[in-house]
Amino acid sequence: MSVDPNAVTQDFPSPPAHGRPHPARYLIPVFAAGLVAVGLGVYGKTHDPAGTSFNLAGFSSTGAVKSWLGTGAFAFAVVQLLTALAMYGRLPGVGAKPWMAKTHRWSGRIAFLLAVPVAVHCLYALGYQTFDTRVMWHSLLGCFFFGAFTAKMLLLRHERLPGWLLPLVGGVVFAGLAVVWVTSALWFFRTFGVTT
Amino acid sequence: MTRSGPLFTLLGGLLLALLLLTFNATTGTKAAPAGDKVAPSASPTASPSSSPSAGAAPTSEAPTPTPSKTQAPDADYAGRTDDDSSAIAVTVRDGKAVAYFCDGRDRESWLKGDVAGDGSMKLTGKNGARLDASPKGGKLTGTANVDKKTFTFTADRAKKPSGLYRATQTVRGARLDGGWIVLQNGAQVGILTRDGAREPAPEIDPSSGSVTGEDLTAEPVTP
Repeated sequence: MSVDPNAVTQDFPSPPAHGRPHPARYLIPVFAAGLVAVGLGVYGKTHDPAGTSFNLAGFSSTGAVKSWLGTGAFAFAVVQLLTALAMYGRLPGVGAKPWMAKTHRWSGRIAFLLAVPVAVHCLYALGYQTFDTRVMWHSLLGCFFFGAFTAKMLLLRHERLPGWLLPLVGGVVFAGLAVVWVTSALWFFRTFGVTT
Repeated sequence: MTRSGPLFTLLGGLLLALLLLTFNATTGTKAAPAGDKVAPSASPTASPSSSPSAGAAPTSEAPTPTPSKTQAPDADYAGRTDDDSSAIAVTVRDGKAVAYFCDGRDRESWLKGDVAGDGSMKLTGKNGARLDASPKGGKLTGTANVDKKTFTFTADRAKKPSGLYRATQTVRGARLDGGWIVLQNGAQVGILTRDGAREPAPEIDPSSGSVTGEDLTAEPVTP
């Protein structure tokens, strides 16, 4: 953190001369991630669930709204996965294209912003619950997802990270969201049908 | 410069979350437009955002959106009929009441109506069901007429998790409609109607609303 970020961008091509980066570079994102994940969980556990919340026009229930928002977020997350794979050259037959970086950034933003209202409703109206396996994993990984996402965002601000780090954290974020989606939206659609 | 992008993303999400949270807090507590039910979705946008910006009323910023002088205060009641055969729960919100009468086997009725300024109410339901009640010393006493039988009852004030819960959903083609009264001692009285056939309802977990053995979620009932 002692390096001026602008300067770093300019002399990026120079070899990583000064050995290991300062550990704060990793500690801050990790700390922030823990804070976010645990904070959300504690809020969901201690806050008395309100039971009800706002609803959107055209939807029969908040469950339907959340399922569709969550599904939208997950769809953009799939775009994330594909563009990331392509940019790292791991998608057979598809090379890295200049537009991919921008697509990756914006699909991520959209996915995140779609997920936020869902999380707000979950934590405000329902809280952190553990009364069955599906709900337990959903609560746990829902909190975990936002922590991991925070870590990913904060790590992105640094240059010269180990090459494996971002793919790893990104993969964890994606996996978290996937499980969260399976335990909520997919369950909802299978249980109540694909309704709006 | 570009490196602050992720930070803006995070802050944007945080801002959105806080916005929604305040939105919920302002609409959710008093006005409580029955969230999951058929709440006219125009009302939440109208009440919280417009009242501060309108600013016409300069001094009094009453938290209740429609403060009429003679409106009965919000309350929840739950109790048994005097013959101990059935349970009754009443929820009062914003001058309206919804009540549920249930014997836990095959007699039930949902009733609703307005509440007078003194807290008394005359509610009506399907098939000529009626409920007349008035509060007396923190209790609600009155008579209910369901399926041409008359019951007298006394209901005490109910606090979460006791109260009135309902779940209506279509699960794999079957129309499910469940009503539950959770009494102050934790006992539950409920009926689950499956495609028109009434049966004693399984237990619910009032904190989460999950219905034992069913893909159903019960929610607190508001008028």
